[in-house]
Amino acid sequence: MNASHQIKIKNQNLWLSSERCLYWEQEKALVLSDLHIGKTGHFRKAGIAVPQTIFKEDMHRLVSLIQHFSPSKLIVVGDMFHSYANKELELFTKWRGDFSSVDVKLVKGNHDILQKKWYSNAGIELFDSALTIAGFCFQHDPGECGMDEANKKKYVFSGHIHPGVTISGMGKQSLHFPCFYFTDTYCVLPAFSRFTGTVSIRPKEDDMAFAIVNNSLVRVN
Amino acid sequence: MENNLPQKKLHDTPGYKIVSAWFASNNMSPFAFQEEAWQHIINNQSGLVNAPTGCGKTFSVFLGAVINFINNNVDGYSKKKKNGLQLLWVTPLRALAKDIARAMEEVIAGLGMQWQIGSRNGDTPIAERQKQRRQMPEVLIITPESMHLLLAQKDYAEIFTSLKTIAVDEWHELLGSKRGVQVELAISRILGVTQATGMLSSRTERRSRECEGSAEQRIVNLWGISATIGNLEQARDVLLSPLKTHNSVIVRANIPKPIEVISVFPDEIEKYPWSGHLGIKLVHKAIEIINNSRTTLIFINTRGMSELWYQTLLKECPDLAGAIALHHGSIDMEMRTWVEESLHTGILKAVVCTASLDLGVDFRPVETVIQVGSPKGVARFLQRAGRSGHQPGEVSRIYFLPTHSLELVEAAALKAAKDINFIESRDPRILCFDVLVQYLCTLAVSDGFRPEEIFEEVRTTYCYRDITDDEFSQITHFITSGGTALQQYDEYKKVEVIDGLYKINSRRLAMRHRLHIGTIVSDPMLKVRFIGGGYIGMIEEWFISRLQPGDVFTLAGRTLEFVMIKEMTVLARKSSSKKSNIPSWQGGRMPLSANLGIMLRKKFNEAYLVTNDKKAQTDVEVKALEPLFILQQSLSHIPKEDELLIEHIETKDGYHLFVYPFEGRLVHEALGALLSYRLSRITPITFSFAMNDYGFELLSDRPIPLDDSNADELFSAENLLEDIQRSVNSAEMAKRKFRDIAVIGGLIFQGYPGEYKKARHLQSSASLLFQVFNEYDKNNLLLRQAYNEVMEQQMEEARLRDTLSRINNSKIVITFPKRLTPFSFPLKVDSMRENLSSEKLEDRVKRMQEQLSK
Repeated sequence: MNASHQIKIKNQNLWLSSERCLYWEQEKALVLSDLHIGKTGHFRKAGIAVPQTIFKEDMHRLVSLIQHFSPSKLIVVGDMFHSYANKELELFTKWRGDFSSVDVKLVKGNHDILQKKWYSNAGIELFDSALTIAGFCFQHDPGECGMDEANKKKYVFSGHIHPGVTISGMGKQSLHFPCFYFTDTYCVLPAFSRFTGTVSIRPKEDDMAFAIVNNSLVRVN
Repeated sequence: MENNLPQKKLHDTPGYKIVSAWFASNNMSPFAFQEEAWQHIINNQSGLVNAPTGCGKTFSVFLGAVINFINNNVDGYSKKKKNGLQLLWVTPLRALAKDIARAMEEVIAGLGMQWQIGSRNGDTPIAERQKQRRQMPEVLIITPESMHLLLAQKDYAEIFTSLKTIAVDEWHELLGSKRGVQVELAISRILGVTQATGMLSSRTERRSRECEGSAEQRIVNLWGISATIGNLEQARDVLLSPLKTHNSVIVRANIPKPIEVISVFPDEIEKYPWSGHLGIKLVHKAIEIINNSRTTLIFINTRGMSELWYQTLLKECPDLAGAIALHHGSIDMEMRTWVEESLHTGILKAVVCTASLDLGVDFRPVETVIQVGSPKGVARFLQRAGRSGHQPGEVSRIYFLPTHSLELVEAAALKAAKDINFIESRDPRILCFDVLVQYLCTLAVSDGFRPEEIFEEVRTTYCYRDITDDEFSQITHFITSGGTALQQYDEYKKVEVIDGLYKINSRRLAMRHRLHIGTIVSDPMLKVRFIGGGYIGMIEEWFISRLQPGDVFTLAGRTLEFVMIKEMTVLARKSSSKKSNIPSWQGGRMPLSANLGIMLRKKFNEAYLVTNDKKAQTDVEVKALEPLFILQQSLSHIPKEDELLIEHIETKDGYHLFVYPFEGRLVHEALGALLSYRLSRITPITFSFAMNDYGFELLSDRPIPLDDSNADELFSAENLLEDIQRSVNSAEMAKRKFRDIAVIGGLIFQGYPGEYKKARHLQSSASLLFQVFNEYDKNNLLLRQAYNEVMEQQMEEARLRDTLSRINNSKIVITFPKRLTPFSFPLKVDSMRENLSSEKLEDRVKRMQEQLSK
């Protein structure tokens, strides 16, 4: 477990982890995005044989993060579940039972299409478009940041796009990694699930991007 | 099946008399090779006909089947209708089906017979398919994919109960591809159902007893038709493998075809050749050729370049408007058909085309062919040349128009190869697990299959003759339980086993699989339509994803403005903009063949001799390049046949190492990976990599430790496999191979046509899946196949070994030119680049950043 990078936004301490999430110290909150729980099961049910180990290891990673940071709550900025209910979600609910002391707050993403009742049964507090805590706003799609008049001045944490960044060097070399992306008004978290691709972003001059390179984070601009 | 029947004499049979009377009434007479084939066919023998297009190869097998039918139905041959399927005619291109059907129908009408000629491919309307279900035509012209679609129908065995002959046309085109493997598998099944009556349903059995009667008629003849390739015997053996016969023949047409090769010379030889650019500059010379000829085909290597050529020809010679057309694989079917029809009738002056017009159909009006850029192989060049001058006795004329000046050497090499008939082989594919996975699912969709029965059949094919019990059971396990899973939380569902019968029961899965058969194209292709309706063609998703609404691009010779993407369709409107993006399509980048490589090295040897001795003899092409060769020689060296040239050059980009084996881009990629891995054991170092058909380049930010002391060792064939597998790049290459495999093996679902939304949440890319399997399921069969294909196909392991042993017997010449040489320049500007590294990822990133911040 590695959370060597600390950054400050609005005087709050945020620890970035190479395990694709960030820890908000003052609020004792683990913030993550795009877990896509049930994706391997969804594919397999449709006859597409992807290894289910990815799902298992995603869950293990989540468990070790919770053990490491001991957060009081999880804030998920969307796409916590991939599609309709399947047996992998049963494994999740079983797991949820073991961590009932942790609050789970989910801001709905485009993939979160389960019935409202399902979330409440699983002990997940659902927010339709955004969740605000202190000076921060959590929402799924960074493209919609600042649309809401009331949240205009708040710093936004989002996901959805699965950001990745390309690093190039001399000799025309280049490499591509998933990343954290911070602008002065919003941040895009990397997708938590390993069963996700990335979309390239190009950080502007005042932005910060941290590439996830194996088990460490590298500031790329 | 051995043939112990009494031999019939062709000329004594009623069928022959009737057919030869028809020939005579049309003032024709059969060729000797046609009669030879007929004789074998009526003796129930199988084999291969070797004949070029336009010489009556279709009749050699088709009329054999007709004669057979007449012989067996002497009294009622002209009246008998609804005879069931007699002849299954497999063709690689659906565009060919129509012409073949037309030719066959003419004969059938001329003979006064009642046979129906049907065709079955992706374009066959549903009504027609249903009609065929009720009553099969006597002849069915079919593509390999559609053969598998037949096998995906319930009670498919009934279709084949009356079948006498299977013909596989253009077998040389299918051999060596996965579509060829599809043909092998389908044939093994068809032979299985026609020979093992015990496996058929009782209904089928009853029917077959009524139609057939004698055991003699249960023999199915199997015939391949192939142009000349280097391994004709093997081509026959691969096709006929499921027959398990030792008694097969090759019938050779031996019709000589004079070919004239003319090089188009640029007015000025550029000493620094840059690929692709010279070609367009020579457009005026092309226009001259077009104007002096009745109809001209202009072969271009890529679809993107063909669009550019079409535009440029129109711009430079507006008179050609309406008399010139464009033909490539991504253009709407209807438009392509129109182009083909117009070629027949001779109303077109010129057609710019790609490999899409390589095959089959004769276009009699075509007088001249222009090949733009390297054809990459002797066989392809001769085949294209053969598209002109179709009338017997006429000369085929082909102009070679180079896209960079060095390519003129290739013209000389091609001429020399033509003179000694040095034609490439097509190596058959071995153990394609992805195709087998798809095939087993196909059988599971229709009637289900029993592994013990199908395993025996599959093993009769050439492709899978070495498959082990273990491998086969891994495959059945994969389609029934889906590899690694979390048991109680798994809901994998595809093939189910009920009483030993393997079957796909879900209608949704079955439908999806049927849609899937035949998807060999891996990159998602989007349809392009006008906003107001009207289909234009197909375009690769990655190209369109870089466009913004309002951007202008070219497709099918039209200038279009990109409006939006809606449900897998690109909507566009006409544009009058002068500037536009030319799309590029991936794939289709053929490597230089080994044969052409050998001839090329001989020509460079001559170039060396000429540069050093004015009196030496060589071709005009090599002579014309004298200024370039003099510069190459003064800066560096011209490699002789028994030499390998290596250049160290330093530029502001870094340290370059150029190596010139002239072995084609795939072998160069493998050599590059091998060399960089071995260099990296000397010191941690990262390279970027570029290659073309002549050589490859390693570029690094630090000096590359290769010199006389270690060069031999670096190119040694020892530990070849281990070293290549360890080189970082093997994963990169496997990733590319995996694209096709994932699609064929059913891991990527490309969506229902027009029902994009229903495939909800099932999208993923091949590269993501590759990464996932690499990390979580290393033993996955399809993943392993990707790595194997890298070794066998990509690396062409056998050829790589030959190359290394040639290098080991050569002199390695290392030079240190002060600036870029004519040989190195095209490589330097080539944009196809890859990274090869032995450094730790984190270190690499840090160093790249340090360099940038300097």
